[in-house]
Amino acid sequence: MRVIRLLIAMLLLGPATLAQALELTQLTERLREPAVIRGAFIQEKHLRALAKPLTSRGHYVLARDQGLLWALESPLQQVYRITPDGIERRTDDSWQPTQPNGASGRQNQLSLALLSADHARLSRDFELQLSGTDAEWQLVLTPKSTLLKQIFRAITLHGSSRVERIELDETQGDRTILRLIDGQPDSQLTAQERHDFER
Amino acid sequence: MTSNVEAARRQRWPFAACLAALLALLALAGWQWRAGAPVSTDLLQLLPHSSTTPLAARAEARMQAAVNRDVVLLIRHEDSAIAKALAADIGQAWAHSARFATVQWNLETDLPAVRRQLLDGRLALLSPTDRALIQSAPARFVEERVGTLLDPVGVSIVPPEQDWFGFATRAQQSLPRPGNVTADLDGSLIAEHDGQSWMVLRAQTQGSAFDGDLPAKVAADVEQARTEVRKRGGQAIAASGLLYAAGGAEQARREISLIGGLSGVATIALLWALFRRLRMLLAVVPVVIGLLTGITTCVALYGTIHVLTLVLGASLIGVAVDYPLHVLSKSWALRPWNLRHALRLTWPGLTLGLITNVIGYLALAFTPLPALTQVAAFSAAGLIGAYLATLFLLPALIGREPIEPWSPPLRWAERLLAWHVAFVGRVGTPLLLIGLLAFCALGASRLSLHDDIRQWISRSPALQAEAIQVAQVTGFQPTSQFLLVTAADETELLTRLAGLRPALDRLVGDGVMTAYLSLDQLVAPAPAQDAVRSALPELLAASAPFQGLGVDPRALEAEAEKIEKLPSVTVDAALAGPLGEPWRPLWLGHDDNGVAAIISVQGLTDSSRLADLAKTHEGIQAVDRLAELNGMFSDTQRSAAVLKLLACALIFGLLCRPFGPKGAARIVAISLLAALCSLACLGWLGMPLTLFGLFGLLLVTAIGVDYAILLRERVGGLPVSLLGTLLSAITTWLSFGLLALSDTPAVSSFGITVTLGLIFNFLLAPWAAETQKRAL
Repeated sequence: MRVIRLLIAMLLLGPATLAQALELTQLTERLREPAVIRGAFIQEKHLRALAKPLTSRGHYVLARDQGLLWALESPLQQVYRITPDGIERRTDDSWQPTQPNGASGRQNQLSLALLSADHARLSRDFELQLSGTDAEWQLVLTPKSTLLKQIFRAITLHGSSRVERIELDETQGDRTILRLIDGQPDSQLTAQERHDFER
Repeated sequence: MTSNVEAARRQRWPFAACLAALLALLALAGWQWRAGAPVSTDLLQLLPHSSTTPLAARAEARMQAAVNRDVVLLIRHEDSAIAKALAADIGQAWAHSARFATVQWNLETDLPAVRRQLLDGRLALLSPTDRALIQSAPARFVEERVGTLLDPVGVSIVPPEQDWFGFATRAQQSLPRPGNVTADLDGSLIAEHDGQSWMVLRAQTQGSAFDGDLPAKVAADVEQARTEVRKRGGQAIAASGLLYAAGGAEQARREISLIGGLSGVATIALLWALFRRLRMLLAVVPVVIGLLTGITTCVALYGTIHVLTLVLGASLIGVAVDYPLHVLSKSWALRPWNLRHALRLTWPGLTLGLITNVIGYLALAFTPLPALTQVAAFSAAGLIGAYLATLFLLPALIGREPIEPWSPPLRWAERLLAWHVAFVGRVGTPLLLIGLLAFCALGASRLSLHDDIRQWISRSPALQAEAIQVAQVTGFQPTSQFLLVTAADETELLTRLAGLRPALDRLVGDGVMTAYLSLDQLVAPAPAQDAVRSALPELLAASAPFQGLGVDPRALEAEAEKIEKLPSVTVDAALAGPLGEPWRPLWLGHDDNGVAAIISVQGLTDSSRLADLAKTHEGIQAVDRLAELNGMFSDTQRSAAVLKLLACALIFGLLCRPFGPKGAARIVAISLLAALCSLACLGWLGMPLTLFGLFGLLLVTAIGVDYAILLRERVGGLPVSLLGTLLSAITTWLSFGLLALSDTPAVSSFGITVTLGLIFNFLLAPWAAETQKRAL
């Protein structure tokens, strides 16, 4: 009996020490499970030139299939929409791209990939290093290309059942910390949210 | 005996002179070919020089240079990592090749340099919209800037503390990006189209599309890259002027060897069939000498010989062989055969024929089109060479050969003549003439004139389809039309360019073109930069929201002061920076009259709208080489026709002496009628008359005069003369008929016209002889 127990224990432990990629896959799967997550955010931009960080607050809606709605509430009111097509700012009657000449689709996907810790997407441009436990994990992204290295030193994601904190360390010394608070899963978007994604 | 020796000596000196001339010719040709074949594929060389200013010509050359040097290769693979690796492998291989000056597949952006240019040039780089916003609504501008500082996951290239007001960031965002090619996060160049993403590899060759075998080598590089990509399960497409050049040269080579080869073989076969003696094949020596003379003359006159001239010139074989054939055809009548005797009898006719031919060709040399001039020079020189060789070399080569020609052809000629006499006897010449004229009038009324420079080149449909796909994917759809803007100085130039922007934007909005590039997108005019400077105090006054973020007001003041003191950016400085790259070809710099720049447009669908801009704005010229050329073609058609008529008058005058005014008129009229008939045939067949077709017609009249003279001279009797004409018509037709097979529309049109003309010339030639019979 004891031998059998030992065997079972080994089988259970084995995979965990064998393959990190498998855990990354599981992590992504788990993070992708809810169709919609709503929550609040606090973004702190630590600029070298400023004594205190630029802090902004608001609410977000992350929809697995559509993208991200980012409603900045303080210090000013502004709603952003991030989809694979680009980052847009809401104006009185429409959505206006923040970069009129369009970054490549892949650049826009990066922000979405970060929020959902989509490892397949992220591993194209970054070395991924996952550590911690299921309840408290940490994913460190180090850029592979010289171009990205000129912008980011590293990006770190922290989380449990979802991404809770994103830290962007810029090569120039500035740092952005994005905290996603109180994320609540849901199975669908509200009518208003759907409308926001459609227009 | 003494008189014989005397005669032999007299006969020997022209031979010696001819031989010496031939040796000199060979030496000259050898010297010309010392560094490879002086053959050019540059179409521009065949086109008239631009009728516009040297500046416009320089601008054209600038725009053309890119077309002749750029290679774009697109690579696609299901797995983008493999596509990237393939692009990198091919890019590295090309970068190591001496053929390419630059190869780009990965944007190794030097971010510090970009940052420096953005900061130093921020006043000049701001878009007109942003400049207007700063001046009219500074508070709104500040509000938007504060918003971007808080943008989610927003990272800007320029650090905020160097750019609180965000001029540099705004400038970077509003700078137009030509085309659809962007840099991926890892720097690799990609273009996304229709849900597919392609890796982009751009290369520029050291030489141009017209440098020797460079196009062929680049085409091989591209083919190898294609194979490599295919092997890995991907797809590659390419576009380049070099590929067209390679295809064109390859096709010309193929056609020259096919047409020249078949024509040569058929000529030799004919000689063999008729005279059955190996030595008689030496009769083609005058032809070879003729071709050599033509090529050497062209190279001596123009530096190189164009491949299109060579293709058309290859058909000269058929005309040049007429001289030996005419002489040899007399062997059916002259018994015992004596070549020198035959030459003495035929040389007046041959000489007349040569002079009329050369007059016909030289008439063309006065057209303003180098394409025709070159062909005319080639043909005239070639015919003179072949003529001299026939008269002076042929006797030495085959003079002693006893000839027993194959007899049936003579009987055929006799039978043909009998038919002709019977037919004319039954129907009557006037009735035939009326029928023929009716045929001509109806046919000619259906004739359409059509000329387009695009007929001069044959582009493989596969290459063209790929080029279109590349244009769609990358968004680069270069057009040959552009605007040329001149001014006294840089400020005036940039102000003019800026003034054009609303009109250009309207054209883009109307879908007339997809995009444009203009220098003022990179450098705002100095007064506009000053206007922003003077709006800085108000911007500073509206900067309260920055303080809400904790930005030190002193930092803002310092930045405003720094911007205020920024020197105005010059065009040269802006172009030198990394952001200036797409605009570099547009700047034509300073000359005695001031400065000039190009506005290039993409995907133009209606060039008249561009031309309209030039009418309503000062200092602007719309350059449309294609339209200009096509217009010039129709002018050339007219002047070629007039010149030809003048040549006919000259030939008429020339023929008056031996044949009298009536006979001369008849000969000229018959050849003109043959030309008219071929014109009518084109009309009936629904084929347009092109410039090269017209050139073919001119040739037809020259040949027609030739035939008519020989039939009128009747050396050795009418059947023998008809046989000689038939033989030369067959050889001429063999070469020109094959030209009709060419893939190049212009060459094929030439071949068809000449083929038709030859048939009519032969059919009508007996009438030239007939009156003489009656007159006698």
